[in-house]
Amino acid sequence: MPADSFAVAIPVGEISRHRRAEQDSGNRNPTVRGSLAAQGNRIDDTSLIREAQQGNRAAFEVLVRHYDQSVLRLALHLTGSESDAQDVYQEAFLKAYKNLGSFRFECSFYTWIYRIVTNLCLDHLRKRNVRKEDAPVAIDASGEEYSRIEQFADARAGANPERDLMRRELGRKIGVALEALTPRERMVFELKHYHGLKLRTVGEMLNTTEETAKNTLFRATQKLRAALAEMR
Amino acid sequence: MKCDWVRQNILFYVYSELEDDARYEVEQHLARCPECAVELKATRKFHATLSDMPVADPSPNLLAASRMRLQEALETTRPGAFWQRLILEPALWLRQVRLAPALAAAIFIVGFGGGIATTYNYVGRDGGAVTTGSIVPTGGTPSVGGTVDSSAITGIRSVTQEPGSNQVTIKYDTISTQEKQGSLNDQEIQKLLLFAARNNYNSGVRMDSVDVLTQTPSDTRVREALMYALQNDTNPGVRLKALDGLSGFVKQDPQVRDGVLRALLSDSNSGVRMQALRLVEPMKADSNVRAVLTKLAETDQNVSIRSQARAMLAQVPEMD
Repeated sequence: MPADSFAVAIPVGEISRHRRAEQDSGNRNPTVRGSLAAQGNRIDDTSLIREAQQGNRAAFEVLVRHYDQSVLRLALHLTGSESDAQDVYQEAFLKAYKNLGSFRFECSFYTWIYRIVTNLCLDHLRKRNVRKEDAPVAIDASGEEYSRIEQFADARAGANPERDLMRRELGRKIGVALEALTPRERMVFELKHYHGLKLRTVGEMLNTTEETAKNTLFRATQKLRAALAEMR
Repeated sequence: MKCDWVRQNILFYVYSELEDDARYEVEQHLARCPECAVELKATRKFHATLSDMPVADPSPNLLAASRMRLQEALETTRPGAFWQRLILEPALWLRQVRLAPALAAAIFIVGFGGGIATTYNYVGRDGGAVTTGSIVPTGGTPSVGGTVDSSAITGIRSVTQEPGSNQVTIKYDTISTQEKQGSLNDQEIQKLLLFAARNNYNSGVRMDSVDVLTQTPSDTRVREALMYALQNDTNPGVRLKALDGLSGFVKQDPQVRDGVLRALLSDSNSGVRMQALRLVEPMKADSNVRAVLTKLAETDQNVSIRSQARAMLAQVPEMD
């Protein structure tokens, strides 16, 4: 399959509804990307899931394509390493494939697959905290070292070098502040702020209540604000 | 008291997480309390600062490589069956029992019977024991282990070549670990090597199999596997080995040349790019090669590669 056929990801199911909700409220998070809200994809998902449950691998692969770009984006941002993100991606979808029989349509497939991904990412973040190799240096797919923090800085190169420098510096500070959060705080903040999910959905994904997710988000932002204020 | 409550909720107001009535109350309070309005401003600024650093989307290459790797793994994975779900999820099973005794009994019987039948099949087919296969080196006729069914392979454990000969021993897993021994020219051995070069998660094993494959690069399937490794392998050592194996074909095979040029432009490892540069040097008069060299001379991150590309371009006579 040609590589360019992977270029467009169609957000479906829950996330599309979330995005619509955010737009309706007039407070759209500019970091939430992709605007191809595809109505009716939930219905397609249901039939795809049923086919995949009956052993149709092609149907499962179509399902994967609906969600894998956002899964990879989340894993990449949380792990800070391309090879770790690839491992999380691989493990998550294989796990989903093996356990597809236990999916009972009690939640959306999006929530279900994200529950698997967030669990794997949380394990990864916890292991990283235990290893204390906390230096913000990671290994990329080619085995070369790079700074995890730099990933926040490269995003938009402009014509103004001074402004770019300031952006990079700010990006580095944000990276340090995010690294200092607990894995759970980091996850809730990531899903809310950068993926624009509703806290109710975040709670469902993390097997907890909306109230707990709310408290965790509050703690995370307090810590981030304090950290960013100190560094100014 | 009201201010405390509002300040605790300003964050959720900014994130549009408040119910209508709570949002209304917050807005009413903010309109008449300047201190809380300052807090709202600070929270909005914090939100905007973090939003100003967007999360980068994964590169199309990373996405494509991840999809390819998943696709290969799916070929050797079976989806979970209905009965497994009952065995794997006792909580669900118990709930079913409590809520619908008749249905639960039926599921229990089907699950139990299915489980027994599957176990019976599994034991009957493989005996649960380690099977060792070997291939007669000269004739290539499979003996004890039979032919290799690549869909049953779950992973390759090791690839070793006897020094000074073309004999290769490959240990691979199906349900249990197996082993094959045979000549490099043997079809079965080649099938396993090609599988190992593409699928194995252990980069040492990929390195070994690519190394052995480089001895027979004239086979088009082998060349394809080497090209695949050059483009997709995550380990730079494996990519370098694949590049070595392809070195003899850069001149005669345009596909190989294009692959090497792609690596030259997009490989993240400067060692691999350097080696690719050496390989294309004899073809520097080729227009494609020249175009890539011009790009490299301007944009490559590595100073040495930039200067080498410039030097190579300087040696090429201008055609226009």
